[in-house]
Amino acid sequence: MTISNDKEFKSKLGGLSATQQRQVAARFVQRVFGLSNDVRVKAALEVAMRPEISDAELTVVSQAANSARVESFTQCGQECDWTAQAGHFVAKAAVACVSTAAEPDNLAWDAAMQARMARICETVATGAGTENSEAEEQYQILDAFLNQ
Amino acid sequence: MNELQFLTWVRGTGLNIAVVVFLLGVLWRLLEIYSLGRKKDLSAPRHVPGASGWHTVFRRSVPPPGMLKRSPVSYIGGYVFHIGLAIVVFLFAPHIKLFQSLLGLSWPGLPSQFIDMTAVITMAAMVVVLVDRINKPVKRFLSTFEDWFTWAVTFLPLLTGWLAVRHLLLPYTTMLAIHILSVEILLVVLPFTKLFHAFTVFGSRWFNGQANGHKGVQV
Amino acid sequence: MSASLEKGVRVLKEVIDAPIASYFNSCVHCGLCAEACLFYTETGDPKYTPIHKLEPLRRIYEQEYTLLGRLAKMVGLSKPVSDDELEEWKELVYNSCTLCGRCSAVCPVGNDLVYMVRKFREGMSASGHAPADIIGAVNRTVTIGSPMGVKLPAVKAQMKHVEEDYGIPIPLDVEGAEYMVMLSSMEIINFPEYLGAIAKIMRQAGKTWTLCSEAFEATNAGIQIGNSDLARVIVSRIVDGAEKLKVKTVISPECGHAYTALRWEGANLVGRPFTFEVKHIIEVLGEFQKQGLLKTEGFETDRLTFHDPCQLARRGGVIQQQRDLMNQVAKNFVEMPDAGYMNWCCGGGGGASAIQDGEELRLEAFKKKKSQLDTVKPDRLVTACANCRIVLEEGLEHYQMDIPVVGLTEMIAEHIQESAPAKSEGA
Repeated sequence: MTISNDKEFKSKLGGLSATQQRQVAARFVQRVFGLSNDVRVKAALEVAMRPEISDAELTVVSQAANSARVESFTQCGQECDWTAQAGHFVAKAAVACVSTAAEPDNLAWDAAMQARMARICETVATGAGTENSEAEEQYQILDAFLNQ
Repeated sequence: MNELQFLTWVRGTGLNIAVVVFLLGVLWRLLEIYSLGRKKDLSAPRHVPGASGWHTVFRRSVPPPGMLKRSPVSYIGGYVFHIGLAIVVFLFAPHIKLFQSLLGLSWPGLPSQFIDMTAVITMAAMVVVLVDRINKPVKRFLSTFEDWFTWAVTFLPLLTGWLAVRHLLLPYTTMLAIHILSVEILLVVLPFTKLFHAFTVFGSRWFNGQANGHKGVQV
Repeated sequence: MSASLEKGVRVLKEVIDAPIASYFNSCVHCGLCAEACLFYTETGDPKYTPIHKLEPLRRIYEQEYTLLGRLAKMVGLSKPVSDDELEEWKELVYNSCTLCGRCSAVCPVGNDLVYMVRKFREGMSASGHAPADIIGAVNRTVTIGSPMGVKLPAVKAQMKHVEEDYGIPIPLDVEGAEYMVMLSSMEIINFPEYLGAIAKIMRQAGKTWTLCSEAFEATNAGIQIGNSDLARVIVSRIVDGAEKLKVKTVISPECGHAYTALRWEGANLVGRPFTFEVKHIIEVLGEFQKQGLLKTEGFETDRLTFHDPCQLARRGGVIQQQRDLMNQVAKNFVEMPDAGYMNWCCGGGGGASAIQDGEELRLEAFKKKKSQLDTVKPDRLVTACANCRIVLEEGLEHYQMDIPVVGLTEMIAEHIQESAPAKSEGA
C-alpha cells in the first residue's frame, strides 16, 4: 500500500532503525542537493548512505555539515537570497542525516522537512509560488526504500 | 596689599562675588539644562515596584553587579573622597560658623583631630584617583584639561585648609587667605565645569531610573 | 557644509532634550561605561568607551545649548562637527554599539548612554553616515515590507510548510482574534519552526490568533539606523493591521529590537497611545504559564543555560518569565554569570550583525560571551531572539565550541502535551 499522507509517512519513518533512517534521509537530501553543492553536505550524505558508520566518522562529517549550516544563515538585515537560503536548509537536512544524538528521534522526518524547506526556498526564489511536489516525491522514495 | 588686607578682601568682597556667581551660575545652568524639556512617553508603562526615578537616585550609588571588581579604585576612591570632602566641609567647626553667618543655620561639628585625619585621607584618596586617571587607558583617553583643572581646584582648598590649620608652609594669615581664595575659585568654576555634576547627578539618575522604570527594569 | 551634514546637525539639535543635556553635564570622565561595554572589555581599545561614541553630539550640545558654548562658537573658539568626523564615528556608533544598554545601567552619575546613542544615530542617518548595509535593510522594509526582502508569498510558503510539518492550520487575517502574531524576517527565513511552535502552543492554550497579511513583519530597521520617519512607516503598518483586525494583543516575536521598536518606541513614533497591547512572545508564554494554560510533559535533562537578549531583559523588562519557563521544561537549568538584567550582549544587535565589515570586531567581542559559557559549561544554550541565535552560533562556530543553540518558544512547544489520538494530525 503506497504512502499517501504525512501521518503515514512520519510513522513509517519513525519505525525504521537509525541506520535505515539515515539511508532514506540521505535520499531525501540527494533530491535537493543541487540547491547547495557544498562538499561538506556531499560528504555527510555519502557517510549517511553506508550501512556501517564509525562514531569517529560520524562526528567528523557532523561537525563539517554543521559548519556548512551555520555559515549559510542569512544575516539579520541582509537582503535574503532565497536560492542561497535553500542551501542553508539542505545543510540543515544533512545535519539531521548525520545526527550524533545517542537516540535520534525520527531524524529522517527532520531531514525530510528540511529538504522540503529547501524546495520551498527554491520556488520562492523563482517566483513559482508555494506549490511543489516534494512531499509526494519523498513518499515515493520511502515506498521504494521499504520495498527493496 | 599686605596679608591682612588680602584676608579681609577674600573674607568680604571676594566671598560675596564668589557666592553670587555660584548661586546665579547654578540657577542659570539648571535652567539652561532642564528647560529643554522632554517629550512625554506614550507607550503603556509597566508597573514594577522598586523601579522608578527616585529609586535610581539612591540605588545608583551602589556599584551594579560585577562592576566593583572591574574598577575598585573608581568606586572606593570616589566614595572616600566624596564622603571625606563632605565631612570636612560640613562638620568642621570654623566652616559651620561660616554657614551660620551666611544662612543663619548651625549644627554640631566633629572634633578637629577627626577632621584633620579625614582631610588627610581625603587628599590621599584624591591623589590615588588622580594617579588612576593617569594610568588607566580609558581615563587617560577621556581626560581633557578640564579634568586636571577641576581636580586641582578641588584639591587645593583641602590642601591649603589643612596647611592653614596646621600652621604650615606660610604664615597663618596668608595661608588662610589663600585657602579662602581657593574655595572662592572652586565656587566660581563649579557651575561651569564637570563639577556641576554635584547638581545634575540627581536629575540624570532620575531620568535614567524613570525611563527604565517605565519598562519595569530596576536600575 | 554639505546639505546632508546641515540636515544631520539640524536633526541632532532637535533631538537634544533635558535628559541629554543633564547627562552631558553630569559626565565626570570616570570611564566606568567602558568597563561595562563588551567592545571595550574584549579589545582594550579606549575608543570604544561609550561616552566617547557620543563626542560629536556633545559638541553640538555645547555649541548650541550652553551660554559659554555659544560664546565660544561666536568668537571662533569651538570646533564644528564635520562630515569627516561623522564618517570616522560611523564605526563607533554602529559597528561597536549594539544598543545593549549596559553602559546606561552602570554610569554612576546616571547617564542613559544608550538613549543618547539612539538619538545620535538619527543625526548620523540624516547626514548620510549610516552604514550602507543597514540603509539597504531600511529601504527594503519600506518598499518591500521586510528588511530582508520577504514578501507575502514567502510567508505563505512558510505557513504551508509549517501546516504540513505540524498538522495545524495557520490562521491569516482573522478578524477579532485575540492575538495578532508578528514574525521577524529572521524567523520566516531561518527559523520556520517558530511559527509551528506558536501554532502548537496557541492550540493547547485555546487562544485565537492570526497572522496579518499586510503587517507580518516586526523587525524595525528604522530604529536601528536611527531614522524615526522610516521607523514610523513600519510601525504604522502594524498599527493599521492590528486595528483593522481588531485584535486585543499584538505579539512581538523572538527578536529583540522588534520588541523595543513596537512596545516602547511605537506609540511615540505614531504620536498616540496604542489601542491594543503589545507583548513579547515570552511574556505571553509567561502569562499562559501562570494561568495554567501551558500543559507540558517531560523534561530536558541536559545542562542548559539561558542567554538574555538585551532588548528583552535589560531594555525590555522581561527578565523573570524566561527563567520560570525554563524551569518548567528543564531539570538542569543553570544560570551563567551576570545572568538577568546585567547579562552580556551577543554582540550582534542594533543592526551590528548586518554590517559586514564589522564581523571581525564582533567575533572579538564574542569572547565575553565565550567566557560566560566557559564558566557555566552548558550542554546547550537557550535564548529567545532569532538574531542572537545566529550571532551566537557563528561565534561558537568560530571558537570551535560545541554548544547547540535553541529557541525557548520551540523548546516549550516540544514539550506541549500531545492532543488525544481522536484529533489526528497531518494530511
